[in-house]
Amino acid sequence: MRRIAAISLAVLVVTLLVLAVPRPARAFGDRGAFDARVLLAGGTTGAARPTAPLRWAHELVMRTSAPARSRPTSVRADDGDIVSGPFLYWSGDVALTPLSSAEVSGLRRFFALGGLLVVDDAGVNFDGDKSEFGKTARAQIARVLPDSAIIQIGPEHVIFKSFYLLHRAEGRVQGPKTLDAIVRGGNVQVIFTNHDLGGALAQGPTGVWEFPVVPGGEAQRDHAVRLAVNIAMYLLCSNYKDDQVHAPFLIRRRSRVRESEP
Amino acid sequence: MTRLVILGGGLTTHFAPSSDFPAWAALMACVVCAVSMLALIMEMRVRRSGRALVLATGVVAVASLLLAVTRPVRIAARESRIGPRVIVLADASRSMDLQSTRGGTRKAARDQAVAALQASAKEARITVLGFGDGAPFPLAEGDAARPRSDLMSALNPVLKSEGETPQAVVVVSDGRLSEPESEKGLHPLIDGLNVPIHTIATAEESLPDATILHVGATGSAVAHVPLPLRVEVLCTGGLSCDKLTVTARELRASGAPTLLASGLADVSQGRGVVDLTITLDSFGPRIVEVALSAPAGDKIPENNRRFFTFNVARERLRVLHVAGRPTADVRALRQWLKSDASIDLVAFFILRTPTDDPRAPNEELALIPFPVDELFEQHLASFDAVILQDFEVAPYGLRPHLPRLANYVKERGGGLIMVGGPASFVSGGYARTPLADVLPVKLDGNPGHTKEDLAKFTPDWTDVGRTAPILAPLRKATNDEFPQVEGVNVVGDLAEHATALLTHPTRLTPSGAKMPVLAVGEVGAGRSIALAIDGAWELEYSPLGSRTQGRGYAALWDGLLGWLMRDPRYEPAQLSLPAGCTVGTKTRLRLKAVSGMKPEGTKLTLKRLDEEAAVIVVPIDQKADLLSGVDIDLPALAEGGYTAKVGFGTGPSTSLDFACEAGGDEWADPRPDVQRLRDIAKETHGDFAFAWDASKLALPSPTVVSAERHVVPVAPAWGWSLLAAAALGAHWFIRRRRGFG
Repeated sequence: MRRIAAISLAVLVVTLLVLAVPRPARAFGDRGAFDARVLLAGGTTGAARPTAPLRWAHELVMRTSAPARSRPTSVRADDGDIVSGPFLYWSGDVALTPLSSAEVSGLRRFFALGGLLVVDDAGVNFDGDKSEFGKTARAQIARVLPDSAIIQIGPEHVIFKSFYLLHRAEGRVQGPKTLDAIVRGGNVQVIFTNHDLGGALAQGPTGVWEFPVVPGGEAQRDHAVRLAVNIAMYLLCSNYKDDQVHAPFLIRRRSRVRESEP
Repeated sequence: MTRLVILGGGLTTHFAPSSDFPAWAALMACVVCAVSMLALIMEMRVRRSGRALVLATGVVAVASLLLAVTRPVRIAARESRIGPRVIVLADASRSMDLQSTRGGTRKAARDQAVAALQASAKEARITVLGFGDGAPFPLAEGDAARPRSDLMSALNPVLKSEGETPQAVVVVSDGRLSEPESEKGLHPLIDGLNVPIHTIATAEESLPDATILHVGATGSAVAHVPLPLRVEVLCTGGLSCDKLTVTARELRASGAPTLLASGLADVSQGRGVVDLTITLDSFGPRIVEVALSAPAGDKIPENNRRFFTFNVARERLRVLHVAGRPTADVRALRQWLKSDASIDLVAFFILRTPTDDPRAPNEELALIPFPVDELFEQHLASFDAVILQDFEVAPYGLRPHLPRLANYVKERGGGLIMVGGPASFVSGGYARTPLADVLPVKLDGNPGHTKEDLAKFTPDWTDVGRTAPILAPLRKATNDEFPQVEGVNVVGDLAEHATALLTHPTRLTPSGAKMPVLAVGEVGAGRSIALAIDGAWELEYSPLGSRTQGRGYAALWDGLLGWLMRDPRYEPAQLSLPAGCTVGTKTRLRLKAVSGMKPEGTKLTLKRLDEEAAVIVVPIDQKADLLSGVDIDLPALAEGGYTAKVGFGTGPSTSLDFACEAGGDEWADPRPDVQRLRDIAKETHGDFAFAWDASKLALPSPTVVSAERHVVPVAPAWGWSLLAAAALGAHWFIRRRRGFG
């Protein structure tokens, strides 16, 4: 009896492990798939939440039709490969060192091609106040894109409806309702989150979430995952959900949700 | 035909005063002589004997004196009478083929009138020329009728040439002239020349006929935008009309014409108008047939329908972009499509498959159902191009619509692009479907067939890819480089009328050719493109993309979509019909190739629209300078719409749709315009006659010209003086003897 139970438990564990592995990206290879590519610049040596990019890819694949790389990559800002993909994820919780001219140049080439950078402040406090990373990242981005202003984007922006209908931004901390962004020609170039999005996504190899989500608990974590999915879908679909054909559906659906809210 | 008429061509002789004797002096001498004779006669009224002798010697003396003064000479000359130069301009337009109410055609009446004129005016030097659509030309038996009757263009070289100006011009026509619009328009040509224009009418009235007199469009034709047409109909020649049904149909490359609109024209006093509104969905030259249902008794059925070529512009290019999943390639294409303000983009991306778990109720998702039925049943015709990108047939209900989509390309002239990915081509389930028949590559649907090759590779340019205008922007942007890509859909050989622009460096097709990676093809009225990779976005995001600022991606799609939409910039050649096409007239097609197109292997074909007619191959001189442009005579064509297509070896082809009319403009109004001919004659001080009275036309008189003139004095000057002195002396002696003072 004990043997049968042990075998059953082993089968269950193997099954869960198999399911936990992200499905292979359904593309030729995975070059065209979503790559939560970590930017190494300003002294960062990796993502502040190292497991977050993989989880991001996993959630995207599980929830949507979008393919994602099963092994997200990283790239230095002064590496020529910085222009080999349209997405960069830059996270940290400590102050950045000033970007070298090579890093500034690399990032400028990335933005010139239309790339999207997500700057995720992992050191943000519970109220969403920026950490030194957040402040210095803004200062360094201002050097890269000197004529660009940071604006707030909220639920009316396509990022909040690119897959899920979101009413606010959330991460490991609830933070402000909006995201900060640099927008040029209608396209978002940089998204600044004051929510530690990676903290909500980080998951250990055993499947345990690495950080508690406050104050909303698991519901807030799911909203954070949805925001991450929406950012990935915005990257891959651009402003698709702003197309006129979607407008009546989305307006109806939002009004229905509002009516059902207490 | 010119006749030089010389009358009285023998040697003639006459006398005249000496050439150094001015006419006024001769006149004075004659007056003096006459006065002297008068005085002598008055003197002889006295009854006295011998007065007759006195008178006789007096006359002789006066005459001798006159001869001594004038010293007459004998002139021997060869004199000629040259007939007047008369130019006969005979109408050679299509309207002269219409039947006359007197029997026979107007052309026959014209020829009879010309013959009668030549017979009656034997002294005239008559040159008979035809006029039609340009300079006058010698009439010849069997000449094709001209599509216009431009009298101005014919008169200009006749009256303004540096040679001998004609003394008269005779116009033989039915009066239905393209130019001048009125007789006043002749003044710039005839003012100061004093050349009368006589006119001869070849017909008095029209046969019983119902005709489409005129079709006018308000504004220009724009794809998908309703276009109002005003159709004027005419009933003439005594034909009884009340209401006439008028229809407008669009001719298509294959299949029956499509009815666009129909209406009823109320005919009053022979005229009626009906307003129709048509909507043309495809841009470029579209052939529209406007026809009426004529009542019984209509004698000219050829003008019951007209063909019009509408060059349909597009307000914006309507593109349907359907993607099976969001990827970097989808993103790149969407951003390029959205960046072009001239493109009206309708996009549908599959964001969630049936196996995905979004972990949220539908109300919390921003997803809408994929309206596959609505899109492909109701709105397909409104799109100029459809892009299927990495989109699988089965899960989303596309399969039932594949025949319609294939028809949209083949018969409605739509554009189709299939972009590669794991759900495209064979992997997407398109093999052995109707859509496979319109792709430029063949798909092998056999079980076990390799569907994808995931290896990295760099596509090779084909010879055509290196020269065709379609990839010229890409070659220029990337300096003939192409980035390495990962994976390719395995496709088969090229379809008929398809061309490979990029190929796989190692994979081969079943026939042993290099496997196409990018291929373009003509399918019926439409075009299709197969791009068997999902890595074109790396033209933007790659070291090459960075070096070229990502311009290569935009350049690739500029060329692909431009060629698909027949943008002249991406066509291998330009085709045109400078003089249009009318049944029974010579049709000339102008072909001008763009740089890089080689004449070897150039093939020109001709196919009738709207029926499964055989394709006619028109021979082309393979050594002709196609870059400078060549004119090619087409074979005799019957009434209807046609597609002329030219291909360059294995390279891409281009085509031109055009229509050939039986009657055309010349038969639209069959009524002869006699009054106009009368007005022209009156305005130019000429005469008017009907063809059957042509011989009564008064032409100018001949001119006399002298040649071989010999002047010989009748006697030496001293002889005349001696004679005068002797005669005067004798007269004086006899007067004295007879008692005259």
